[in-house]
This record gives sequence, structure tokens and C-alpha cells, in this order.
Amino acid sequence: MIPFAKVAAPDVDFAGLAPLIAVFGGALIVLMLGLLRSRAARETGVPALSVLSLVIAIGLSIWQWGERTDLVAGALRLDELTLSLTIIFCVAGIASILLSWRHVAPREAAHGEYYALLLTSIAGMIVLVAAQNLVSVFLGLELLSIPLYVLCATEMRRASSLESGLKYLVIGSVGSATLLYGLAFLYGATGATDFKDIAEALGSGGDLVSDPLLLAGIALSIVGLGFKASVAPFHQWTPDVYEGAPTPITAFMAVATKAAAFGIVLRLFDVALIDAAVDWGPPLAALAAFTIVVGNVGALGQSSLKRLLAYSSVAQAGYMLAGVVVASRLGLQATLFYIAVYLVMNLAAFAVIVARERETPLGDDIASLDGLGATRPALAWPMTIAMLALAGFPATAGFIGKFYLIDAAVDGDYAWLGIVIVVGSMISLAYYLKVVAAIWMRPAAESTDLAVLTPGPEPLLAGGSDEATGLRAQGEVVAVAVFFGVLTVVLGVVPSPLFDVVRDAGAALGLL
Amino acid sequence: MTLHLSFAVWLPLAFGVAGLLAPPRLAPKLALAGTLLVLGYAIAYVIDFDSANAGLQHVTDEIWIGELGIHYKLALDGLNLFLVLLTAILWFFCTLWASFGAWEKPRLFYFHLALAQTSVLGALLAQDLALFVVFFDLMLVPFFFLTGIWGGAKRVHATMKLVIYTLVGSLLMLTAAIATGVLAATGEDGLSFAFSDLAQRTIESSTQNWLFLAFAAAFLVKMPAFPFHGWMPDGYKAMPLPVLALFSAVLSKVAAYGFLRICLPLFPDASEHFQTLMLLIALFSILYGSAMAFTTTHARLILGYSSIAQLGFIVLGIFALNSQGAQGAMLQAFNHGLVVAPAFFIVALLSARADGSEDIRDMGGLGMRAPVLATFFLIVTFATLAMPGSSNFVGEFLILLGVFQTKLAIALIASTGVVLAAVYALRLYIRTMHNRTGPRVESRELSLRDGLVLVPLVLAILAIAVYPQFALQRSEPTVTSIVPSALEEKAAAAPLPEASP
Amino acid sequence: MSSVELFAWLTLLLPLAGTIVVALAGRRLSGRGAGYVATGAMTLSFASAVGALLALQGLHHEERQVRAVAWDYASTVGIDAQISLLVDPLSVFMILVVAGVSTLIHLYSIAYLDSDRGYVRFFAFLNFFVFSMLLLVLAGNFLLLIVGWAFVGAASYMLISFWYRRTTATNAGIKAFVINVIGDVGLVLGTFFIVRHTGSLDFLETFEGIKSDFSPNDADLVAGCVLLLVGAFAKSAQVPLHTWLPDAMEGPTPVSALIHAATMVTAGVYLIARMHPLFELAPTAADVGAVIGCLTLLIAGTIAIAVTDLKRVIAYSTMSQIGYMIMAVSAGAYAAGLFHLMTHAFFKALLFMAAGSVIAAMAGQQNLDRMGGFKRSLPFTYGCMVIGGLALAGIPPFSGFFSKDEILLLIGDRGGWYWILYVAGYVGAFLTGIYTFRMIFRAFWGDSVPEALELEEGHMHHPDVHSNPANGEIEDTEVGFPGPEHHIAEREPAMKIAMGTLALLAIVGGLLQIPKVTHVIDHFLEPTFAESALYERDPSDGLISFGLILGTIVGLAGIAIAYVVWVRKPGMAARVRARLRPLHGLFANKWYFDELIGVLVVRPAQWFGSFAQQTFERVFVNGVLVGGATGLVRVGSSAVRAAQTGFLRYYAAMLVVGMVGLTMYFLLLS
Repeated sequence: MIPFAKVAAPDVDFAGLAPLIAVFGGALIVLMLGLLRSRAARETGVPALSVLSLVIAIGLSIWQWGERTDLVAGALRLDELTLSLTIIFCVAGIASILLSWRHVAPREAAHGEYYALLLTSIAGMIVLVAAQNLVSVFLGLELLSIPLYVLCATEMRRASSLESGLKYLVIGSVGSATLLYGLAFLYGATGATDFKDIAEALGSGGDLVSDPLLLAGIALSIVGLGFKASVAPFHQWTPDVYEGAPTPITAFMAVATKAAAFGIVLRLFDVALIDAAVDWGPPLAALAAFTIVVGNVGALGQSSLKRLLAYSSVAQAGYMLAGVVVASRLGLQATLFYIAVYLVMNLAAFAVIVARERETPLGDDIASLDGLGATRPALAWPMTIAMLALAGFPATAGFIGKFYLIDAAVDGDYAWLGIVIVVGSMISLAYYLKVVAAIWMRPAAESTDLAVLTPGPEPLLAGGSDEATGLRAQGEVVAVAVFFGVLTVVLGVVPSPLFDVVRDAGAALGLL
Repeated sequence: MTLHLSFAVWLPLAFGVAGLLAPPRLAPKLALAGTLLVLGYAIAYVIDFDSANAGLQHVTDEIWIGELGIHYKLALDGLNLFLVLLTAILWFFCTLWASFGAWEKPRLFYFHLALAQTSVLGALLAQDLALFVVFFDLMLVPFFFLTGIWGGAKRVHATMKLVIYTLVGSLLMLTAAIATGVLAATGEDGLSFAFSDLAQRTIESSTQNWLFLAFAAAFLVKMPAFPFHGWMPDGYKAMPLPVLALFSAVLSKVAAYGFLRICLPLFPDASEHFQTLMLLIALFSILYGSAMAFTTTHARLILGYSSIAQLGFIVLGIFALNSQGAQGAMLQAFNHGLVVAPAFFIVALLSARADGSEDIRDMGGLGMRAPVLATFFLIVTFATLAMPGSSNFVGEFLILLGVFQTKLAIALIASTGVVLAAVYALRLYIRTMHNRTGPRVESRELSLRDGLVLVPLVLAILAIAVYPQFALQRSEPTVTSIVPSALEEKAAAAPLPEASP
Repeated sequence: MSSVELFAWLTLLLPLAGTIVVALAGRRLSGRGAGYVATGAMTLSFASAVGALLALQGLHHEERQVRAVAWDYASTVGIDAQISLLVDPLSVFMILVVAGVSTLIHLYSIAYLDSDRGYVRFFAFLNFFVFSMLLLVLAGNFLLLIVGWAFVGAASYMLISFWYRRTTATNAGIKAFVINVIGDVGLVLGTFFIVRHTGSLDFLETFEGIKSDFSPNDADLVAGCVLLLVGAFAKSAQVPLHTWLPDAMEGPTPVSALIHAATMVTAGVYLIARMHPLFELAPTAADVGAVIGCLTLLIAGTIAIAVTDLKRVIAYSTMSQIGYMIMAVSAGAYAAGLFHLMTHAFFKALLFMAAGSVIAAMAGQQNLDRMGGFKRSLPFTYGCMVIGGLALAGIPPFSGFFSKDEILLLIGDRGGWYWILYVAGYVGAFLTGIYTFRMIFRAFWGDSVPEALELEEGHMHHPDVHSNPANGEIEDTEVGFPGPEHHIAEREPAMKIAMGTLALLAIVGGLLQIPKVTHVIDHFLEPTFAESALYERDPSDGLISFGLILGTIVGLAGIAIAYVVWVRKPGMAARVRARLRPLHGLFANKWYFDELIGVLVVRPAQWFGSFAQQTFERVFVNGVLVGGATGLVRVGSSAVRAAQTGFLRYYAAMLVVGMVGLTMYFLLLS
């Protein structure tokens, strides 16, 4: 008989994988459910179930909180960073599911597939941020990207949707290829795929730190990941794709994809490549500065809200990068904090855009917000808060986030980057305030005359009794807007809980 | 007795939110009630104030964001006591004034007015650098809306310009503030933004310089001082008058206060280093502001540019870097606020009598049937031009005396500003109240309702004119403790850089 | 509170009370009520001034300097200002003159302003002015002095532009106010120079410490005193800060009498007397004062000969007389200067009142060329005018003779270059004689003008359409207008009493201080000037008698010339004018001071203003600072949007380029 090598199957810690499993499982079940006949099951059951699975995933993550173990033979890492990001992805997912419900995209692309793809993408993100092995990094990246390519194109009857999907696919593949190259070089240079081993190899001293192969690897992986995080000059797909994609998907990409990209950036650079910080610090700082400037000036003069937010997301990516640059625990915490804050602010904004897309014929044009303050306070306030928060006004989460980032930058001797951040914010005022001005300081457009005519007292500040305005009811969309709008203010006033979370996450990576 | 400062700070906002939820006709009443309560509080603080004590009083100190070393720390001392009083007084009377008019979306209007008061009081009372920055930037939000929604012609453009221009300074200040905290933090005692902690720690001179400049930028733009007043003309023209009165009377003072509260104690070396620069900026503000004030014909802008000149005097006093100057600056900050608000109110009355025009060329002979109005206006005018006998004079006297002792030449040149003030103030008075009646003018006496606003303010001006000691005595201990310390600490800190490798 | 303090406070506060009562209740008082209230307040004030005098005389010789403190005004780091009065012979002397003359002028105004729409306002202002003036002279420290100083300026402004529908009046008002503010600033800066060394604002403390704080002619002290002089010159209309005074004649005539003859304009004299310890330590500054005073008295005298406006003639003569006083107190002849201040207050107020009566008869017309022959129709006025004129021209035994003579006597006694001043003084006296009687002859002699004839027939002239005599502008009869009727002394007992009293005083006032005979003022003021080195001097009898004779001759000569030129040979004036055209032009145009100041100060200021307004604001503040920044951002954004072509290949290319660039950087790092 022929002896053959025994392959020791890795022992799998199912508890640790539980959130991931929940999401994957959800995806599968949803896919099946999508095949059912009953309309109710497809149009209501499917989204409900997807939400459920995400809720479960969140619950499991909270349950796992405090665990710090390797999973699947060290391919993945379970720690607070993974878990907190998992929660972020799930929240983003839930939000975009709520926005997608009753949206045209899932109807055209069949509900089952639509939501299943969404869940899969989330799963991919979880894998990506948990990855502490070059291979699983790439695995996660593709797992998150491919569904998104499809999702962008789900509004099949709209050419621009298809266009955006195609663009994303093509450029995305270039990006992935670049990243793959980079990872390969890293492996070549260090002879290891495992983050810890890479770190050891670098930490062992020697001139490895200035090894061309390693440096090329770092460069290429920066490009690949920077692409996903839409860091300039690799950002150019962002405006087009964001504009073309169905708005709920845009919202999802804007917050979740960016979060995922930064999650792995943090882990890769702050764990594996931490000792090469001297190499990648300065160029990353330069990229951050460039990104901030490009994003902010690009957003000026945009009339499409989605394009505007696309550029703003570029700029925000620049801010977050500043936290990575300093290669310190403070930096990591600041970045993570900002990711969370960024999610909250953007979801509020996108929810309002979705609502207006359905209420007015103007689509996502900024004109669709004219006079919103008078007609739809329940939408106007969240949008206003979101814009002010993105601009970094105090008493909003955005302010604390920027404060934390600048704090980290200055602490890491990158004070000039702090200045760049605020200069960026100065420029950003011009377009954020333009939106606010449209909401409060322009007369309502004719499309909302209906609302003006309706008698009775104005709706109240929050809780949006939007029936009063006699418009198509969209409880869930308004609810999302209001919820995240309120959350933006709450986190701006009592940020401590979020600080506790990021502190744990920061501790997990064992940085200084 | 215990007077928790948080009440004073958050009361207005509470009432504002209440007004937002109440039926519209209640909104002004609620707003008035709120401001009245705050006024009561402020008066109580002044009565309760221990004028012998240089330190902080009524301290509230909680940790707000531990991770960032940000305290929620409020306290009163000689520096902010009278600015708080000023804020309380003016907010009450300007709200009263606003309540005379009918505003569309009244609930929103009074909400923003209340939010503004909360943020101003917060900025004045904050004893933590980060908290100060928070409130200082927050101040702008309500004024953005108040101008943009209820303003006059070209209001959106004006409000954009206003907010962006002033925030450019403030955001630089944000970075500088964070840097101050981080760089001052030493190994053993962690990050803290509380003034009390920061004052203990020293920052080396080279760093102080850029920090100082960032703060100075924020404050000078907010005041505004020459040449950073680009936003002022449009903003002033667009703002609704009651709002403008508050903006011009109070917000500029918060900026001046910032110099005394932050720059002098925390960056003594830099304050010393940039003294001449700041004095020159102040000097130019005085001369330029005056020159503009006696050439422009728009009543609001005359007051606007005169404020530039007045603020110039205040900066002059602050950067005399001695107690007289600082005392004068403090008193003058209070006086100018107290004087410019009624001045704007009078401008409103005048334009109401001149067929809505605010151009003094369309006015004239307004005093004819309105002796009472004319008298009040004359008093306000004399106070504006700091005629001896008005407490503005005592302020300017101290300021000039302070500068005189450090930089004689500058004091001599600055004193010409006093003469120019006489020119533009009287010009405004004569062109509006005297001479032949303008074509579309009909002279009317002050109505009883208007009297409710104007009379108390003028009485306040007279009271402080007869007994300025009331303010001086209370602010003296703190001011003297802050200003000389700004120089002593410099002397103490000077050898440090050499000592520490 | 001692009785001295009590009386001082009463003197000060009664006029203020009067202001408030009149202002609040004036409209309810019928007819002349407001006038009576105000005058009553003034009478009481004068009474308590007398009370203060008696109380002060009751004190022991050394204790005649009383500080009356009310409360801390501004006493903080570096300054110690209280609401405090200094009651000493000097201030009591001043309040007696001020309160006394003011009372009479109030009395006069009751009738004179009767038909004016602003009757109530007028008396409120008038009382407020007296309050300010009393505050000025009673002030016990620099800060309070400055306050009073500015208040009189303000009151003066309000009264000058009392007829505020006249642009001429409002312009005159703002001019007066601004020049007075320049004076205030001078005073403030002067105070700084002094306080810097003495460390106290209080007069008595300053004077006590003065010797130890300053060495003689210490630079700071001289600078301080010169700046104080700037204040004095602005207030007392000394060159070159005098241009406001002639214009101030836009105000009602009683105002001219009160402010621009008897009281406010003499503040400068008081100031120098009050500050004598400083000036004696800074002789240089004192000499500056003396020289300026001398220049002023000459220049003003020459102008007074040329101008044709009745009130302006008197105004310039006032300037000239104050020139004497300034010269006197600067040269150390304190008692003499103050003595002249008093007599001048009497006869100059009298002259103005008489002029007012004439102007009333002319229905507001003030031009001498239009006047003539009022001798018969206005006998009482004429009498007063002549008495005042003789006193002014310094003819014995009228009051002006003794006071002016004593000034020149003491100056001559100083010897040295002061002889120049001595001579100039007599030249001035000669001019005085000429212009005074030129005025009297032209107004009262010669053949009667229509107005005079009308009056002789028993009723006053009233034009149908009233117009501003200054610029012919039709009066706005609704408000702020001299009033449809006019009032002359002959028909108004109130005016008669006031003028009669002053006439009496103008005659006998001089007897208080006759060389070698009476020394009332000298002795009374002695405590104030106890420390003064220049106070006690007794010139040689020769000089005294020489001066007395010379003064008389000069005065009479002046009158004689006036008589010849304007009465004897009516054509002569024209001929003289023709021969001395350039000189006359210089005088008639007031030595071109207004034009000079216009070119040197006003125009540049206006230019700077309009430059800032039109050019700088637009180009720099908005263009460079705002436009520059926004423009930069705009360029950037258009660049970014240009890069956003929408073509896949292009994006891919960019991606690759960025990648290559970054890799290159890293490889270079190795």
C-alpha cells in the first residue's frame, strides 16, 4: 500500500467563526427563499431574513467580545478589531437592506440574489478584516468585491447602473491584480505569508527593511488597498461608480467597503509591516494629504449628491489614512473611531438621498433638497446634521472623529498632516454648506408643492410623521435617516462608549 | 449659595427646544422666558462674585472625554464675569426686540437664537481648551442659519462667506488647540486640555509661535480685525438686525476674550514675540476702520467699521501686555457690547422712519419730532466715540495708558483714532437726526414698546459710566494675575530649552 | 461733610438738577416756565458758590485747599481716579465768575429766546453746560478734569448746532466738537506723561510730589505740559486751533455770550493756572504758552479789524483777549490773568448781549455793512455797548483797563525777552481800540438803516420770509429756527436787568485790584499759589505809572483812529483798504487758517478714507485675500473634474501611473 502524507485538518473554532457562519448561512437561506412563489415571501420575507441573519451576527460578535484567538490555523484572527468591524459591516448591511426594501434594484435583479450577494459581500469583508495571512487577505478581498461588481449593475434597465458595474469590475480587477502582485512580493521578500512571521522577519533586523522586493511589495499592496479605499490617485472609479450604482448599494459601498479596506490596511501595516513604518510612513502621509486635497476640491461644484458624497468619501479616506500613517495605537484607535463615525454620518445622508429620489423626479440632484426644511423636517434635520458632521462641526460625531485623528497625527509628529486635515475641512465647508443652504434657504421646488398645500401643523423635529405631508410613505427610509442622524449627535455628545470599543480594538493589536 | 453654571449655559437651549415643540405663537414667549432666567442667573453671579478672589469661582469640573483628556469644566472669574453678564443682558433685550417682528418659521428662529446663546455662554465659561473650541465653533452654526434663512438680500452668499471665512480661522485653532494639549502633555501626567493643567506645563517657544498664530488667526477673523474683515460688509448687510446686534456686540468679544484667556497665559513667549505685530494690526484696524466708517454711507457699515476700530483698541490693550491695558480691554469689551447693540436698535428705528432705507443719505431731520429718541441716540453716540464721562473713555484711557508705557509711539498714533471716532460718530448722528428732512423721511417719536428695549440699555450705559469701578474692581484680581504671569512665566520658561536636552 | 464741601457740591449739582427737571418737565411748564426754572437753579447755584466762598474764607489760611471725595470712579492698577472736587481759592474764584455770569445770561435768555421752538431744549442744554463748566473747574483730579473738559465741549457742540436745521450750524458744531476732542486727546496724553512719573491722578498729590518726581525742564514734563497746552489752546481758541470759535457764532447769541466769551473759552487759562506747579518746573513749556498767547492776541486783533460780521468781530476780540490771559498765566502773572478773566467775562458778555439786541433789531441780520444809526432807536443797548467797548479798549476807569494793564505790567517786570511780549501787548491794545469802536461806530452811528428807522417809529422789523443770514438758505420755520419774533433789551426787562448788572460790573470790576491801592484778588488767591516762585512780585513804581499812562494813550489813540476813519472821513476806510489790499486780504481771510488746515489735515484724511473705500477694500481685502484663496480652490476643482473623463482606459492608465510612481519612490528608498 502506498503511504501518503497525513494532512492534519485544522481544528475549527466554530464559536469564533460564528458571526461569519451566521452571515454565510443567511446568504444561502435567503438565496433559497428567493425561489419561493409568494410575493410576500420574496419582497418582505427575504429582506427580513437577511436583516435577521445580520442581527444574529451582531449578537454573536458581542458574545465573542474579548476573545483573542487565531482561527483556522492562523488564517484568520479573532479579536476586537475583527469584531468591531464585523458589527460595523452588519449595521451598514442592515441599513442598506432597509433602504433597498421597496427599491427598484432588488425587484429587477430578483430579491433572493440581490440580498444573497449583499450578505456574501459582507462575509467577504469579515474574512478580509480578520485575515492575518496574505492568502486569506486576497480571498477576503475577492469575496467582498465580486458580489459588489454585480450589485452595482442590478438596476438592469438603467444604462448608467450597468456602466458603473462594468467600470467597477474592470478597474477593480486591475486593483486586485496589483494587490496580488504586492502580496506575492511580500511573500518573496520575507518568505512568509503569515503576518506574525512577516513581522518577525522584519523585526529580526538586517537590511530587509530596505530590500527592494519588500518595498515593491509594500508599494503594490498600498496601491491595491488604496484602490479599494479610494485613495487618490486611485480614486477615479469612485465618483462614476457611486453615481451609477443603485443608491442603497452606493451607501453600502461608501461605508462598508471603505471600512473593510481600512480594516485590513490597519492589520497589514500595523501588525505585519509595523517595523517597516519608516518606509511606508512618509509616502502614506503624502498620499493622505493628496487624497484630502483632491477629494475636497473635486467635490466642489458637483450637482449630483452621490458624486458629491463620492468625492467627500475620497477626502474622508484621506483623513483616515492619517491615522494609519502614524503607526501607533492612538492612530489605529482614531482610524477605527472615524470609520464608525463615518458610517453613521454617511448612512444618514444616503437615506435622505434615497427618500428624495423616490419623492421627486430630480433624482439625486442637489435641487431635490430645495426647501426640504419647510416641507420635510424629518429628512431635513438628519441631512443637515450629517453634512455638518462631515464638515466636522462640533457637537457632532464628525468633530470628535476629526479631533481624535488630529490628536493622533500630532502625537505621531505629523502635525502638518493635522493642518492639512483642517485645510481640507475648510474647503469641504463650501460644498457641505451648499447642501444645507439648499435645504433651508431655498424655496421648495414645485415637486413638493403638494406638501406645502397640506394644512395642519408642521411635522415635529424628530419622529418624522411624514404622512402629514401627504407624500408616499417610506417609514423605513425616514427611520434610517432619523436614527443615524440622532446617533450622529449622540456620539458627538457622549462618545465614550465608542471610545471603549476602539480602546479594546487598539489593545488587541498589541501596539504601543 | 450655589449657582450651578451648567444651568445658565443649557437653559437657553432647553427653552429653545421647548419652543421648537410648542405651538408657534408660544415660541417667542418661551425664548423670552429663557433669556430672562439667564439674565437673572447672570445678575446673581455678579452679586455673588467674590471680587477679592483672583481664582475660579462656581467651578464645575467633570471628565467629558477621558481618552482625549477633555474636561467639561465651567467656571467664572474676573475675565468672563462681565462678558457673561453682557451676553445675558443683550440676549434678553435682543430677543425682546426680535419678538416685536413677525418671523416666518418662528420656532426655528428662536431655537437658533437660543442655541447661539448657549454656545456663547459655553465659550465664555469654558475652562478647558477643547471645550472652548467646541463652543467657539458651535457659535457659528446658529448664525449661519439665522443669516441664511431670515437675512436680507444676497443672504445665502453672505452667510456662506461669513461662516467659511470665520471657520478658516477657527479650524486652524482646532489643530493648534489639539497640538497645545498634546505637546504640553508630559509622560507622567497624561493628556489634558484644562486651562489649569495647561498653565502648569510649558511649551517651548518655537512651538508656541505657530500655535499662537493659529489662535490669533481665529480670533482676529472673528473680531474682525483689519485686514481679515472681508466677510464683514456682506455679512452685516445681510443679517437681520436683532441678530446682527448680538453678533457684533457679543461674538467679537468672545474673540477678544480668547486672547486674554488663552494666548497670554498659555503662550507667554509668543505673546511677547508677536507683541509688535499684534499692536500694529490693532493700530491699522483703528485707523482703517475709522477711515472706512467716515466714508461709507450705509448705517450698518458705519457701525460695522466703527466696531473694527473699537476692537482694534481692545487688541491694543491686550497686547500692551500689562495690567492697565488688559483692564482697559476687559472694560472696553463690556462697554462696546453694551453700546453697539442699542446703536443697531436705533439704526432699525431710523430706517423704519426713513422708508426702510439704511443709507444715511436718505435720512436727515429725524430728530425733529423725536426729542426722546434724539436724546438716547446722542447718549449712545457720545458713548461710541468714547467721550470722557462715558465708561468707554475709562476703558480707552486705561488701554492707551497701558500701551503708552510699553510702546509710546503706537499710543500716540492710536490716540488719533479717538479723534476719528468723534468724526464718524457725530457724522452718523448729524446726518440722520439733524439737517433738512430727507425726501422720504417722516419723523416719529420712540414708541413705548421700543422704549422697553432702548431705555434699559441706555440706563445701563449711564450707570456704568458713572461707576465703572464696579466692573474694574471685580476684574482686577484675575486680570492682574493673568497678565504679569504671562511675563513671569516667560522669564521662568526661558532657560528651560537649554536645560532640557 | 464740611460746609465748604457741601456748598461746592450744591453749586455743582444744582445746574444738573435744573437740566433734568427742565428736560423732563419742560414741556408741561407753560410759556417761559422752563426759563424760570433753569434761571432759578442757576441763582441757587450762584448763591451756594457764594456760600462756598464765605465758608472757605472762614477756614484757616493754610487749610484753604479742601478735597471733597464722593466715590471711587476708576481706581485700579496704575490709576486712582475718584469723583473728587478740589475746593480752593482758585476754583471758588472760578465758580463765582462762572455761576454769576451764567445766571445773568440765563436771565437774559428767558426773554431773548422767548419765541424759539426749542425753548425748553435750550435751557436744558444751557444748564447742562454750566454743570459741565463747574465740573471742569471743581475737578480734583486729572480724569475728572478731562471729563468736565469734554462735557463742556459736548454742551458747546449741542448749543452751537442748536438750530440744527441750518447746515451751517451743524457744520460749525461738528467742527467745534472735533477740534475740542483734539484738545481732549492732548490733555489725556499730557496726563500720561505726568502720571507716568507721579503715579497719581489727584491734583494735590501730584503737586506735592512734583518737585521730587521731576528735575526742572525734565523732557517728559515739558512734553506733558506742551500737550496740556494743546488742550488749553483747543478750548481757548488759540492759534492754530482757533478756527472753530468764529464759526461757533452760528449759535444763539446768549450762547456766544456764555460759552464763547465768559466761561468755556477761559478754561485754558484756568488749566494753566491750576497746573502752575508743573509749568513753573517746565519753563520751556510755559514760554510756548506765552508766545502762542501773544501771537493769538495780535492775529485775532488784526482779523477783528477786517471782518464785517458783528458777532465775529466780538468773537475775534475774545480770542485776542484770551491771548492776553494765556500769555499772563504762562508768564507767571496768575492773579492778573485771572483778574482779566473775570473782568473780560463781565464786559464781553455785556458786548454780546448788546450785539444780540442789535441783531434782534435787524431780525437776525449780523452784517455790519447793513447796520447803522441805531444810536437813537436802541439807547440802552447803545449805552451798554459803549461801556463794554470802553472796558474792552482799556480806558480808565473801566475794569478792562486795570486788568489788562496789570498783565502787561507783570510781563514787562519779567524783563529779558518778555519785553517783546510787553510791546506786542500794547500793540494789541491799540488794535483793540480800533476794532471795538469801528464796530460801535458802524452799528450805531451814521445814518439809520431801514430797520433802525422802523424801530424809531415804534415797531420792530420782521421779514415775511426768514432766511439764514449765513448762506441765504430759506429757514425751516417748523422747528429749530430762531423764531418768528425777536426781542430787544429796550422792551424786555429781563434783558435790561442782565445787561444793566453786567454794565455796572464792567465799570466797577476793575476796582478790586488797583496797583498799590487794592489787592483783593491777589490776597484771595494767595493760598493756591503759595508755593509759586513767580507769585509775589512788586514792580517798580516807574514801570507801573509808565504802563498806566501808555495803556490809556494807546487805547484812546485806537478809538481816535476808529473815529477818524469810520465817522469823520467815511470814504477813508475804502481808500485804506485799496492801498493795503494784500494786507486786508490776509486779515479778511483770517490769515487763511481754515484753508491751511484743510490742505494739511482734512483733505489727506478724506483722501485716505476714499482710498480705503474705493480701492483698498476692493482690491486687497476682497480681491487678494478672499478672491485669491477661493480662486486657488476653484482652479484645483476644475483640474480634478477635468481629470474625471469617464473613460475606463484613462482611469486604468492613471492607476498604473500612480502605481509606477509609488513603486519608483519605494525602490529609490532602498
